[in-house]
Amino acid sequence: MPMVLLECDKDIPERQKHIYLKAPDEDTREYLPIANAATIPGTLSERGCAFCGAKLVIGGVLKDTIQMIHGPLGCAYDTWHTKRYPTDNGHFNMKYVWSTDMKESHIVFGGEKRLEQSMNEAFDEMPDIKRMIVYTTCPTALIGDDIKAVAKKVMKERPDVDIFTVECPGFSGVSQSKGHHVLNIGWINEKVETLEKEITSEYTMNFIGDFNIQGDTQLLQTYWDKLGIQVVAHFTGNGTYDDLRCMHQAKLNVVNCARSSGYIANELKKRYGIPRLDIDSWGFSYMAEGIRKICAFFGIEERGEALIAEEEAKWKPKLDWYKERLQGKKMAIWTGGPRLWHWTKSVEDDLGIQVVAMSSKFGHEEDFEKVIARGREGTYYIDDGNELEFFEIIDLVKPDVIFTGPRVGELVKKLHIPYVNGHGYHNGPYMGFEGFVNLARDTYNAVYNPLRHLAGVDIRDKAQSTPVILREAA
Amino acid sequence: MLDDKLEDVFSYTEERCLWQFFSRTWDRTENIHGVVDQATALLTGKPPKRDTPMERLHYADGRIMADDLRERYPWVREAGEAEITQVMESLKARLLDTTIARSTNRELNHHLY
Repeated sequence: MPMVLLECDKDIPERQKHIYLKAPDEDTREYLPIANAATIPGTLSERGCAFCGAKLVIGGVLKDTIQMIHGPLGCAYDTWHTKRYPTDNGHFNMKYVWSTDMKESHIVFGGEKRLEQSMNEAFDEMPDIKRMIVYTTCPTALIGDDIKAVAKKVMKERPDVDIFTVECPGFSGVSQSKGHHVLNIGWINEKVETLEKEITSEYTMNFIGDFNIQGDTQLLQTYWDKLGIQVVAHFTGNGTYDDLRCMHQAKLNVVNCARSSGYIANELKKRYGIPRLDIDSWGFSYMAEGIRKICAFFGIEERGEALIAEEEAKWKPKLDWYKERLQGKKMAIWTGGPRLWHWTKSVEDDLGIQVVAMSSKFGHEEDFEKVIARGREGTYYIDDGNELEFFEIIDLVKPDVIFTGPRVGELVKKLHIPYVNGHGYHNGPYMGFEGFVNLARDTYNAVYNPLRHLAGVDIRDKAQSTPVILREAA
Repeated sequence: MLDDKLEDVFSYTEERCLWQFFSRTWDRTENIHGVVDQATALLTGKPPKRDTPMERLHYADGRIMADDLRERYPWVREAGEAEITQVMESLKARLLDTTIARSTNRELNHHLY
């Protein structure tokens, strides 16, 4: 089966190169969707902007850092508070938002003075905070404000602060992905190896590409503590600015989200010789495999086996309860990119769910190589999908549940198809053993939610009856 | 018979192994040789190398691979050294062809990350 031209795309046939239906005896040598390419005019993309990729996904997670957004207010608000990444210090990153609030006069006469004033105001208002990331946005990049020069001036006047700049306006790439790249490469070039921290274990690693969504990082940290492994830096879940400056001190880079953060792991390997180990942190089978690999690297295999046995004894019966009830259900995954390949086999193996369609907003061709290798035959693989395509795909595959973000989620709810928040989660964490039980529970609650059936009943039509949905207590 | 056995190990690798899909041609080449060699050593009863950080990395991936192949495919447990080596060398060639030589991924040979 070659690439697919959907009915809704008949006037934009270029979309055929972005949608693949996997058939027996085919592989990515023959069919690989084009990805990380400019959105085709005529489609309404679901993508975010490059600035969003740097700020919302990576930088804004840090728990001790002012995120100064040099631009109009909307750039700040739209990348604040929507990602659900808590911290163990009272959620500093989610309580506050900082913006230079650029107006027309600043655009006309330049915004550097306003930026300098805003940076000083922020440090003055928060005297305990000594770290800051400054981001350009589209308008301040277009007028050529030199944020590096302003940061240098503020650091000279305030010797106790450290500032990192991210020059990644929204228009600088085709999607969020460009922002991930700019922040990764900027950080390794400017900040890694500018600080040394105390090393307390002979087993040290960076955990890269996990953003503490609803506590993922904190849950996994309980595993590393039990194994006696010191995490030098979390990139960037529940992480600190200064820990990220010490990434060169780790013996191993463990990568979960290879799309947003693979760049810094590659550079750490190239520049410091620190090996990169990619794992999947979602799912029982994958999590156990990841722990086994990390422990094999350090030669502490027995500790890993003990931890896995303890966690499986505690959580496997709960997982199996849900598996029995979710067996054969059909799922669509419409998220950013890596969760397609992280989840497609884990929900199949651990929960008996079939993934029937997957769409990526900002994945690269590498992500499609991974997901097509792992994914089922008869499943659609879509790059940069749009709403009309989603409607048509839903008709073709009839999913029981869709893992996606709130915007598309609200759309599919109108079709009486339940969605689970695939970005910020419904009730996470979802990583690790306990986390995957949470994912199973939210999936079960979505699939068996009686409200979506009731919403389809027109009470003015006496001929329609209310469906009876049998739902067991977990 | 060799084709069937190669198909088994290739299917397993497709399903489970992220290391074949690293960012660039040189990373993929390094991983495919490194991990498959370590798995081959483990499957044929030879001591794996664990002296350098990269050897320990490939050992970690190779050990999981060897354990899984033994568990999934009874023929692996019964095969001799020559047969295992032949199948695993064929696997390397197929992975290099699939993920590098005939991959249409446009980023594989970019000189920067």
